[in-house]
Amino acid sequence: MASALTVLRRLYLSIYNWLVFIGWFQVLFLALKALKESGHEHVYNAVEKPLLLAQSAAVMEILHGLIGLVRSPVSSTLPQIGSRLYLTWGILWSFPEIRTHILVTSLVISWAITEIIRYSFFGMKEAFGFAPSWHLWLSTFLVLYPTGISSEVGLIYFALPYIKASEKYCFRMPNKWNFSFDYFYAAILALGIYVPGSPHLYHYMLGQRKRALSKSKKE
Amino acid sequence: MKVTLVSRSGREFIKGGLELNDSATVADLQEAIHKRTKKFYPSRQRLTLPVPSGSRERPVILNYKKSLKDYCDGNENTLTIVFKDLGPQVSYRTLFFFEYLGPLILYPVFYYFPVYKYFGYEEKRVIHPVQTYALYYWCFHYFKRIMETFFIHRFSHATSPLSNVFRNCAYYWTFGSYIAYYVNHPLYTPVSDLQMKIGFGFGIVCQLANFYCHIILKNLRSPDGSGGYQIPRGFLFNIVTCANYTTEIYQWLGFNIATQTVAGYVFLVVATSIMTNWALAKHRRLKKMEGRSTPEDGLFFLHSCRTDR
Repeated sequence: MASALTVLRRLYLSIYNWLVFIGWFQVLFLALKALKESGHEHVYNAVEKPLLLAQSAAVMEILHGLIGLVRSPVSSTLPQIGSRLYLTWGILWSFPEIRTHILVTSLVISWAITEIIRYSFFGMKEAFGFAPSWHLWLSTFLVLYPTGISSEVGLIYFALPYIKASEKYCFRMPNKWNFSFDYFYAAILALGIYVPGSPHLYHYMLGQRKRALSKSKKE
Repeated sequence: MKVTLVSRSGREFIKGGLELNDSATVADLQEAIHKRTKKFYPSRQRLTLPVPSGSRERPVILNYKKSLKDYCDGNENTLTIVFKDLGPQVSYRTLFFFEYLGPLILYPVFYYFPVYKYFGYEEKRVIHPVQTYALYYWCFHYFKRIMETFFIHRFSHATSPLSNVFRNCAYYWTFGSYIAYYVNHPLYTPVSDLQMKIGFGFGIVCQLANFYCHIILKNLRSPDGSGGYQIPRGFLFNIVTCANYTTEIYQWLGFNIATQTVAGYVFLVVATSIMTNWALAKHRRLKKMEGRSTPEDGLFFLHSCRTDR
């Protein structure tokens, strides 16, 4: 017997997932359109609004995990969403000079395809109780994770000179709390984290894929 | 008596098992395993009694002092033991020595050497008295820790996994450098003279109290490390279960009051949360063991353990 809360939860999650799905679908559509019509330098401008919206909406997923609405552990969603928000707001939005780089195109397309598959999958599960081709999604990450991560790392790297020159988000000494923050060094630290972080994440996904494929074999 | 050794997946770990004296102890078994396998010295072995499949109970870990007979059911002269490799081990003394050595050596580097040149600052600089006292305080603290490691502390389980060396050294060495960078910075802003004195004074008192706590803890055990877990009594242990952690935390608070850096306070918060976790676990363990005669809790921030009568 489905309680009212369960129904409410499924309704909310269905709406959430399908809404964000539409956002990412827009991103992909506008990106390909701009690429064809004007070239890679204009991709960012075309997708900016839906990209910022759809990516920022993902913060809700941390909340969902915290309050137990979904089963995903916060420990795995947090770094994923953190790196996405860092790239979206901390690099692309903050430093316009990097927006015309070709890696923006590969980044946006990798993210969009991944998210379209992911949100439609969860949208179907919540709305209809099942979802087809789970294996399809898990297999596409084999390509999309490397392309996405390379684009992220590349964009941070190429943005470094702009970060250093602009002094944005920096807090300097002297001050009475003897504290400083240098966004340039923080970016280098972020690049450093990708070194152990990416293979770790990739292996984790490989494990998930193996488990799901073997489970469906048994069924 | 015949001992059958299996891995956690159920496979026989030593073909044919081992034949031991009826009066053999677990330590004898460990020696026998080591003889047969070369690689697995005793501190690397985790030996447990098999748990029935499906059961969610925690397995019983064999105590190296007990005789094997104690673990046999009834009259059987055979025993099945589950073996797990804990991986390469280091002694706690080794672990502590290296993790404390980092801060002891790295901090003075920032004080004495023109490190800030490489960060784009010109040759220093005016050295404020508080920076010199901070150097002495910090180095004394880690020197004290190393001395206690070799001459005071008595460890229950002799070893720790090797991977902990990297993890713990990363923690201490990184935070040590992070704090040293800011306290010795050419643009460092000192606090008032009074605040500095209060901070260091309070910190020193807490370090002395901490040392005394360690003495009390040491006397709970005999020199070979036996004596197991007991409830410490006397001094601050009458108020909180882990007074050694309490005094350590307040000692760092004193350092931060005197030096006032965000880096130092971040370290304080992280260290406090780690020690709080340990204290809660220890408190739970002690309560389980000895029933309800644990000390009363004081105020929340004298914390280290919530206790009740």
